[in-house]
Amino acid sequence: MAEKYLTRSFDPAGPRSFKTYADTGGYSGARKALAEMTPAMVMGEVKAAHLRGRGGAGFPAGLKWGFIPQASPAPKYLCVNADEGEPGTFKDRYILAHDPHLLLEGVVIVSYAVGIHKAYVYVRGEYEELARRLEEAISEAVSQGALGENIFGSGFSLNVLVHRGAGAYICGEETALLESLEGYRGQPRLKPPFPASVGLFGNSTVINNVETLANLPGIILHGADWFLGLGKPKDGGTRLYSVSGSVVKPGVYELPTGTSLREIIFTHAGGLAPGRTLKAVIPGGLSSAILLPGEIDVAMDCDSLAAAGSMIGSAGIIVIDDGVSMKTVLDRVTKFYAHESCGQCTPCRVGTSWIRRIVRRMNGGGRRADDLDRIARLAEAMKGRTFCPFGDAAALPVLALIGKFRTELEG
Amino acid sequence: MAEITIDGRNLEVADGLTSLVAAEKAGISIPHFCYHPALAPEGTCRMCVVDIEGAAKPEPSCSTVIRDGMKIETRSPRVVEARRNVLEFLLADHPIDCPICDKAGECRLQDYYRDYGFFSSDFHEQKKRRSKILKIGERLILDRERCILCTRCVRFLRDVTKTGEMGVFERGDNSEIGVADGVPVATAYSGNLVDLCPVGAITDAAFRFRTRTWFLDPKPSICPFCARGCRVDVDVHPGFARYPETGGILRVRPRPDATPAGPWICDVGRYAWIEIESRRARRIVWNKGAAEAVLSGDKVFSILGAKIRALSESGRTDRLTLVLHSGLTNEEWADVKAFRDGFNPRPKIRLADPPDDGGDDFLRTAERMPNRRGAAEAGCDLQPLDPGELREDTDILFVFAGIWGDIGDLERRLEVWRTIRTKALVSPVLTASDPLFDFVFPCAIPYEKSGSYIGFDGRRREFTAVRPAPEEAESEGEILRSLLAACGLGARTPGGS
Repeated sequence: MAEKYLTRSFDPAGPRSFKTYADTGGYSGARKALAEMTPAMVMGEVKAAHLRGRGGAGFPAGLKWGFIPQASPAPKYLCVNADEGEPGTFKDRYILAHDPHLLLEGVVIVSYAVGIHKAYVYVRGEYEELARRLEEAISEAVSQGALGENIFGSGFSLNVLVHRGAGAYICGEETALLESLEGYRGQPRLKPPFPASVGLFGNSTVINNVETLANLPGIILHGADWFLGLGKPKDGGTRLYSVSGSVVKPGVYELPTGTSLREIIFTHAGGLAPGRTLKAVIPGGLSSAILLPGEIDVAMDCDSLAAAGSMIGSAGIIVIDDGVSMKTVLDRVTKFYAHESCGQCTPCRVGTSWIRRIVRRMNGGGRRADDLDRIARLAEAMKGRTFCPFGDAAALPVLALIGKFRTELEG
Repeated sequence: MAEITIDGRNLEVADGLTSLVAAEKAGISIPHFCYHPALAPEGTCRMCVVDIEGAAKPEPSCSTVIRDGMKIETRSPRVVEARRNVLEFLLADHPIDCPICDKAGECRLQDYYRDYGFFSSDFHEQKKRRSKILKIGERLILDRERCILCTRCVRFLRDVTKTGEMGVFERGDNSEIGVADGVPVATAYSGNLVDLCPVGAITDAAFRFRTRTWFLDPKPSICPFCARGCRVDVDVHPGFARYPETGGILRVRPRPDATPAGPWICDVGRYAWIEIESRRARRIVWNKGAAEAVLSGDKVFSILGAKIRALSESGRTDRLTLVLHSGLTNEEWADVKAFRDGFNPRPKIRLADPPDDGGDDFLRTAERMPNRRGAAEAGCDLQPLDPGELREDTDILFVFAGIWGDIGDLERRLEVWRTIRTKALVSPVLTASDPLFDFVFPCAIPYEKSGSYIGFDGRRREFTAVRPAPEEAESEGEILRSLLAACGLGARTPGGS
């Protein structure tokens, strides 16, 4: 089995305390960064590791940090995106539940590299228990000198605050997250300016996903080459794949970036339930285009999935077997996006709702002959035309479903 | 400067402009709903999209800042398709009630639907029902079915008046604009929401259902209700021959260049004419004894002329007093001067304006009259009216009451002036004090005058009459000229109209 790093010492009994985390080498990455490295060296190491964002967009983390203007005397902020809302994705909660200090160590490292002294963890509203555990971990870390003033005697200080969202999917979009964090209605901001220049409270802000930051201690401790060796040349490390649906062993699997989708489903997740055959796979959370059984030999990394006409997204793998009607899938997909559209821009607000209403009418027996064409036309009218990527997220799965399952949907 | 290309035209434009503004400067108009020149770009309606060379998808021009060498297509097939889609989305749930919608004729949704081809609807679902007649302010009616969620109203109240009464509530296609906790829009600038609304969602209770907008003839003027000098359009209905009651002023709106702060006016400037119009004075009145007599204007002027002549013959024209207000135009002040200089000794001239109301920290100036600086510069040695004076030293008194028919405390002053032999009131409106004057002259309201004011900033603003004054009403300047002529002491002096 491939090397595991993130989940190497997860304890099924509960979250690791500061002591057990530290006893198994925890915080040595942060200690090393603070004691032996300059911020520029830390940033250089992460850039060399080609750590790509694990939240969905796959943007290289080191590059993102590089956009922060270093010279400005204004405060800079870190926002940890723990608003894990993409359907089929439950990996960040795995980290928060089992190893909150792994995240906090990553938070210390990125904050040191960029010069941040205040970090917010925006936790999905539904993760009430996890937010509580995280707050406990933070006070534990503060009492042990791993957070707060003068961390590990280095002179570097960092405060971390937990903020719970209220359950809106759109608040996982980074600028909507900032709006929500500032106390406003959760809807995306006009870009540019990007958060790196004008972010939280008008200041430069780094926003990273939980899993992205959880990779930092390993990169600092073992180096970029080690990290790249775990994954692919331009897409380093391991990933946490959330596997759900019709498999024998659903769960979170830490495997190298670029592991084949087939291997994840059939080798690691135990394959399909007895008597069931594979019908389709959604590879990267609900927003990614659905794949047919013949398409699952694809490598699970950003570029390979893009080439296959889908995306790795949040690596939330939803396995669908022959017992599931694609009409149900279309119903669930369109319901979700119509429910979660923030309503700010025209194509998304009306497009998701209109498509939803057509699907509901079709399922209610009021089918018109050209409904699928109409849905596809409306999805095309949303794709690339909305204020934020939500429009694409809503359009792409619908277009893929109609493209690949038209006969069944028409029946 | 940046060199850019819009629709094949090479242009040199200032740095920092958005592509929408750059295009408009070149005479290429780009359709838009949420964008407004005096508000920050929002980028949400998606109507103003254009193609930019190198961009994978159409970009909103309202928020795309130009770069040197940028090539922009505003009418490419992809752009036209995207805009048609936006219209299709906006019209999906929109009621097709243009025949009973107040905005019809000046509705962006209507205009763009025509521009983008009158396509037929592909919407076969149940339209969403929302509240239709929601009162959100004293004169503001919200129809949520017509709302396209451009949020101009919300942003105006958030960013311009900073009163923040409105917001977007709910999410997705349940999103609706409204007032928080049912507390109505209370800003003194509420009427601007009606102009800002690009569709018929926010309508004006004072205007709705009174006419169709295409019958209106907008006439530029200067708002006379304070010294700010906002540029306004007075929408005048020419009236239908068989229905004369259809004529008159129907609406006052800010012009696009109303103020440097934006196309805004306060609610006083927008609505005060309604009350004034409702009590307009139209006929000259001679209160002879208890019975009110109606005479021709000429007769009244000759009676007053004879009285003034009698004063003149005994060398006592200093017992003639004019109480004036600083709503007079600069040109009317020339008439005042000519009147004064027509007599020896000169008549007394006093200034009495309604008391200042303090103004606000946005557009309203403290003074309620439009031309106090013009009055000061008129060279008439103006002195403010002392409440106790005139009783002993005036035989003939003319009170020019200004647009409100009020010089401040008029009733109490009349008590002091009870013994003055001849008193005349010049007012555009009927007042409770009318019976206490011997003569009452109806006069023009400022919109019915041509001339100029000097505003709070010392700048001169010219305007022309939007319509003639009604019936026997004349401007104060004309009244002074007629009176001077009726005295038979000199030729009528040419002055302003």
